[in-house]
Amino acid sequence: MIGKRFRIAAVIGISLVFLLAWVFPIVWSVMNSLKTEQDVLAYPPKFLFAPTLAAYRDVLFGSGSILPNLLSSFIISIGTTIVTMIMAVPAAYALARLRVPGKRFAGFYVLATQMLPPVGIIIPYFLILRNIGWMDTYQGIILIYLSFSLPFAIWLLVSYFEDIPFEMEEAAYIDGASRWKTLWRIIIPQVRGGIAVTVVFVFLNAWNEFLFAVVLSGNTVRPVTIAMFNFVSVEQTLWTKLAAVSVLAMLPVIVLGIVAQKHIVKGLTVGAVKGGGRR
Amino acid sequence: MTKSLAAEPAGLGRVMSPSGTDYSRALAVRERRFATALLAPAFLALMATTTFPLLYLIWTSVHRMDLAMPFADGFVGFDNYRELLQDSRFWASLAVSLIYTGTTVVLQVVIGLALALLVMGMKRGQGLFRSIAILPVVLSPAVVGMVWRTFMLAPEFGIVDYFAIMAGLGSQNWLGDPTLALVSVVVIHTWQWTPFAFMVLLASLAALPDDIYEAARIDRASAWQRFKRITLPLLRPAIVMVIIMRTMVALTAFAAIFTVTGGGPGTATEILNLYAYRKSFTELSIGYGSALAVALLIVTVLISAVLFAVRRAR
Repeated sequence: MIGKRFRIAAVIGISLVFLLAWVFPIVWSVMNSLKTEQDVLAYPPKFLFAPTLAAYRDVLFGSGSILPNLLSSFIISIGTTIVTMIMAVPAAYALARLRVPGKRFAGFYVLATQMLPPVGIIIPYFLILRNIGWMDTYQGIILIYLSFSLPFAIWLLVSYFEDIPFEMEEAAYIDGASRWKTLWRIIIPQVRGGIAVTVVFVFLNAWNEFLFAVVLSGNTVRPVTIAMFNFVSVEQTLWTKLAAVSVLAMLPVIVLGIVAQKHIVKGLTVGAVKGGGRR
Repeated sequence: MTKSLAAEPAGLGRVMSPSGTDYSRALAVRERRFATALLAPAFLALMATTTFPLLYLIWTSVHRMDLAMPFADGFVGFDNYRELLQDSRFWASLAVSLIYTGTTVVLQVVIGLALALLVMGMKRGQGLFRSIAILPVVLSPAVVGMVWRTFMLAPEFGIVDYFAIMAGLGSQNWLGDPTLALVSVVVIHTWQWTPFAFMVLLASLAALPDDIYEAARIDRASAWQRFKRITLPLLRPAIVMVIIMRTMVALTAFAAIFTVTGGGPGTATEILNLYAYRKSFTELSIGYGSALAVALLIVTVLISAVLFAVRRAR
């Protein structure tokens, strides 16, 4: 009896430790973002304090506002998502449902492209963009983001297309509908859910990307993940503002993560079930 | 590998018409044309953003290309690779990469599996675990790195340092000491990605059939025996899959280390990926940086070949 009680206590204890460990850095950032400059530097650290939105007001509407950077992050992520989906939905449909010569190879190719280390793509890509004058442009960064978003989206969508029954398509053909019309009117509505999940993950990956953004960013393209470095320098760290910016950068992806909660394992392991994988 | 694709699906052409007729052949041609039109944009874009850069990378890796001294640029054959083999910083960064990858992957899988088993046995609170586990995984590694570098690990200010002082360990220079810095970046990566291993393994555990466990319980197998004889073998494919995915990511990790230590102090946390970046974009030696990137690709391919062989065995 004592043994059993001890075990339950141990399970609860271990669970709490891990849950706290996972939440703490995020909660601590939120707390620091709500502190005043004095509170944030207090020693010992303050867990109870009078919260203020001053840091958010400063980083959003003060001088050196990060609103343009948030906007930049959104343009990159939404742009990448749109272009990716326009290309990936038809390709995934063809790979999942049509007889295509060399289909096996095509599937393998999509997986193999994910093995390329990002740094191996960015070096040549940097040289190319410099030559054609696309450094620090949205078209440049969205184009290179396709290198990881397309394989991911194609694989995730293939798994959804494979789930719909063939009878639907047959019925449409017998009615004399064209292939394009069938795809658009019959098939795509069937995989709406899968498309929504894919959109969430493509957006998330684009929002979180860093290496390509570091190399290509400038005054125009400057996502919030790059702009947060403005708040730390050798001389000083602007603690509360940095916390506020970090929270703002976390917010959209946490919301999306919670929205797509049920699909997260599938989204994380897509492709891996069949082969490689990334992120 | 591509099982579902390899198994020729009931293509529409075959379903729609008796085979062997001109009509079915015409349909097959039309289907092929349609498929090509659907596939072309995605595959052209993929080739432009992956295959072409790869070929270009190999080309620049056999050139001297220095953005600081462009007048000396030119074809040098395998000189960059010869230099690389004698470059102690290359070998050191490769070692850091392997240590970083090995420790983070082992920690993620061991902790993730242990937690999955623990949570699987819980009657309540599973949902809470599942929800919380999502948080670290969806965050940008750059933001995670920034939060750890400042609010968690900054000397005298970071909360980890505060707890270390409270515990009597004294204030530590978490990111300034070479060994501690490496430990720190390993911990940060493990913090962010253990939930991934946990969620995948928990999902696989939940999918295991119950009746085997029933039988084992009736046979009075101990918990350890049940784990070793039943759970582990059944879970093996999922574990290997997690190992493969996490290894690929750890090998090319960049953002978190870049924001936390920038590879420092000195080169203590400089993984091969970061070295290639620094060489190319800080020291502006694009040619040599390209050779480093190719070396990284070769290492990645070799390691994944080994892992896939392990996966296929049994």
